[in-house]
Amino acid sequence: MEPLAPHEKILVNGKILEDENHGEIACVDCHGGNPDDPNWKTAHEGVIKDPTYPDATKACGDCHDEINKNYTKSLHVSLKPFTLIIDKRANPNDVIRNKVERAMNHHCYHCHSSCGQCHISRPTSVEGGLLDGHLFQKKPPMQEVCTACHGSRIQKEYFGENKGVLPDVHGEKDMKCEKCHTGEEMHGDGKDYANRYEVENGPKCFGCHEGVYSREAKNVITHRIHRGKASCQVCHAQPYKNCSACHVGEDKNGLTFCKTKASWLDFKIGLNPLKSEKRPEEFAILRHIPVDRGTFDYYVKDGLSNFDTLPTWKLATPHNIRRKTSQNSHCNACHGNESLFLLEKDVEDKEKEANRGVVVPANLIPRKQKWQPK
Amino acid sequence: MKYWKVIGLVVAFCLVFIPGNLFIGQASEESQCFKCHTSAEKLTEITREIAQTRPALKCAEPEGER
Repeated sequence: MEPLAPHEKILVNGKILEDENHGEIACVDCHGGNPDDPNWKTAHEGVIKDPTYPDATKACGDCHDEINKNYTKSLHVSLKPFTLIIDKRANPNDVIRNKVERAMNHHCYHCHSSCGQCHISRPTSVEGGLLDGHLFQKKPPMQEVCTACHGSRIQKEYFGENKGVLPDVHGEKDMKCEKCHTGEEMHGDGKDYANRYEVENGPKCFGCHEGVYSREAKNVITHRIHRGKASCQVCHAQPYKNCSACHVGEDKNGLTFCKTKASWLDFKIGLNPLKSEKRPEEFAILRHIPVDRGTFDYYVKDGLSNFDTLPTWKLATPHNIRRKTSQNSHCNACHGNESLFLLEKDVEDKEKEANRGVVVPANLIPRKQKWQPK
Repeated sequence: MKYWKVIGLVVAFCLVFIPGNLFIGQASEESQCFKCHTSAEKLTEITREIAQTRPALKCAEPEGER
């Protein structure tokens, strides 16, 4: 997505005064500064660019108290999974851990959202800029907000922008993100979740496709046979993007950067690393994530000394779902097809220990079927 | 006494029929923030001025997920 021109980013639409809910609030009430000063330099002293982050109470809390109550627990604001995961991988030595934390502050923690960065402007992590001149957007526009951040993976999968991969069938039906990822999910429910898959009001395929196991359903036999064994994506996702070797640092001007190796498209079924009552399937789709032993080397050596405590092939729910895929075209497109499974040989030597729990042993690969359902 | 009744009626009329945000809206329109931030010309002028004095804020190195 192209960034807005500098003046466009801060150009306010005069129609905001007609907004019956927000039009009465003076700029100074949320942003501070001096509204009577004609000199822009001094008028902006003390101005708060995003008055909704990290605390939205003053700007939004008076009217949206229910949402505000849970706001700081929203994963888009708290980034809790980042912290928990790095805590597990990080070197326990306090001095080193603090340096990792510094690196996280410089790089990772910028990728958050806020009330303002969904409903008023584009997120700061993609250079910001007002959405429709500060007119409040009840539903954040998908391409300027959601896929502005979730671009290289979700956007490309959903719209079929990866070469040779079809778009998501839900995208073809023009379903926007909020159809599955509701406001309630985005705003948080007050609970601290360790990862997005635990979120109680998160998206569920069965929310719409509740009838797939019923007697009348099409392919009921196939669905019943695989129930609890394979996640929906195992049969219905297509190849998706994988990344590796993320390294963060600063350039000679002190500006931060992150670099990864070239990404690649792949499709790997592995052992479900987050098996739970909610996700009991033995097999799930895994995506290689960018983390590397040396991700924080610029700041401190051996920062992730417990690197092997978590897999680098992580549970994934690719956003390129199709009813018919190459692996579900017939039973033996998947059964006995080793190339679809994450095997020991697919994992780099330096990551073998980390991924021991998700690699599929040869004896667990489903055998070829002689019988085919009609 | 008669005048007070007329004044009272005028005040009551204003309170009932004129939307509250009209007054506040006008007040906002008069603020320097609103005047400047609704003028593309002024903002272009100012952002050009800022661009000349401030160094680049973005690293030329590649970034992650976009």
